Amino acid sequence: MKGLAGSTAIAFCLAAGTCGLAGCGSADHGEELYDLHCAACHETSNPDLKKQPPKLEGLFRAKTLPSGAPATDEQVRNTIIEGLRTMPAFQGRLSVTDVNDLIQYLHTLK
Amino acid sequence: MKWWTVMASSMLVAITGGCGGQEKHYTLQGQVLAKDEAAGKITVKHEDIPGLMPAMTMPYRVKDPFGMKEVQPGDAIVADLIAANGGKDYWLQSIRITDESGRKTAKPHIRHALKIGDPAPEVPFTNQDGKQLHFSDFKGKSVLITFIYTRCPMPEFCPRLSSQFAKIHEDLVQTPADYDKTHLLTLSFDSKYDTAPVLRKYGLAYLDDHPEGFSHWDFASADPADMRQIADAFGLDYFEEDNQISHSMDIVLLTPEGKIAQYWSNEWTTAELESSLRQQAKSSIGHRGPKG
Repeated sequence: MKGLAGSTAIAFCLAAGTCGLAGCGSADHGEELYDLHCAACHETSNPDLKKQPPKLEGLFRAKTLPSGAPATDEQVRNTIIEGLRTMPAFQGRLSVTDVNDLIQYLHTLK
Repeated sequence: MKWWTVMASSMLVAITGGCGGQEKHYTLQGQVLAKDEAAGKITVKHEDIPGLMPAMTMPYRVKDPFGMKEVQPGDAIVADLIAANGGKDYWLQSIRITDESGRKTAKPHIRHALKIGDPAPEVPFTNQDGKQLHFSDFKGKSVLITFIYTRCPMPEFCPRLSSQFAKIHEDLVQTPADYDKTHLLTLSFDSKYDTAPVLRKYGLAYLDDHPEGFSHWDFASADPADMRQIADAFGLDYFEEDNQISHSMDIVLLTPEGKIAQYWSNEWTTAELESSLRQQAKSSIGHRGPKG
């Protein structure tokens, strides 16, 4: 899907599950989780839905998230775990590590 | 899944351009729970399909006449899952049965235990305001009921159902005479997570933050034993696994007398639901629907 950004060294650190510039987690695993849990809504147009989920490219490049909240790891973490508006909560289905990995991958979306 | 001992240990996923240029091919592994030859569909409890969807149970159209004839509930299968038209159209082909031993213990699938004209069960459920309700509380109005859980991540399932109900609600707001004679009810399978505050928050998102809409559209959940009773009465399938609930897609319409007027399973249009709800509000006689 999306390529890893940054230098080889950073990419290696992310894939190894260590802490990189943007935080801790494995972007590779995050990409797998993204494809499994997020892409169906955020990558595909679903005309039947009341609200079209936003594309997530450049999520952390903007100052604010599509919701208007600050584009921070903590805010994205809360959104993933608790859900937001019509977005379902992933509480109980993604571990803390999973969420960290997912956030790490979202940082790579340019 | 532990009981699929004969299955290959790894899932091979082949994503290709397909002959039409828009088809994606995946490999599905799972156990067949139900078979509907007339509709040409099987319901499969399947494992994760990387790049497409997490493990869940859902019905699939089958484009494999021989496979459709051979496969039976309980069978472990591997099949090609074809997703076309941006994922809106999908089907199974090249079904391979890998283990037939589950046939012995497969439960017969009983759809719609209550028949058209039967009264809805008197089972309590609790709405977004923490108020206990029964189906009989809606007597005098035709009631359209659907079944979801708020953490459902699949856009073609619960989010679609709630979006369709939101459209019906918005349309009915425009015609007060029908609005006053109809009601919408969204029942959650997940009483553990879908408490009244969660349901209220979820409902407001679909009501555009207009809480007065709750007087026309309730969001509720029932205790697990009560929900099982409701599911048995309406012929719903659901089970929880790894904090995810696999469930069938069903909609039930009640007459103003609280009797079953119509069932829909898996296939319907928003316009069809809305029309039936409006018509039922004007009639006290239940009728068998085209898919009932």
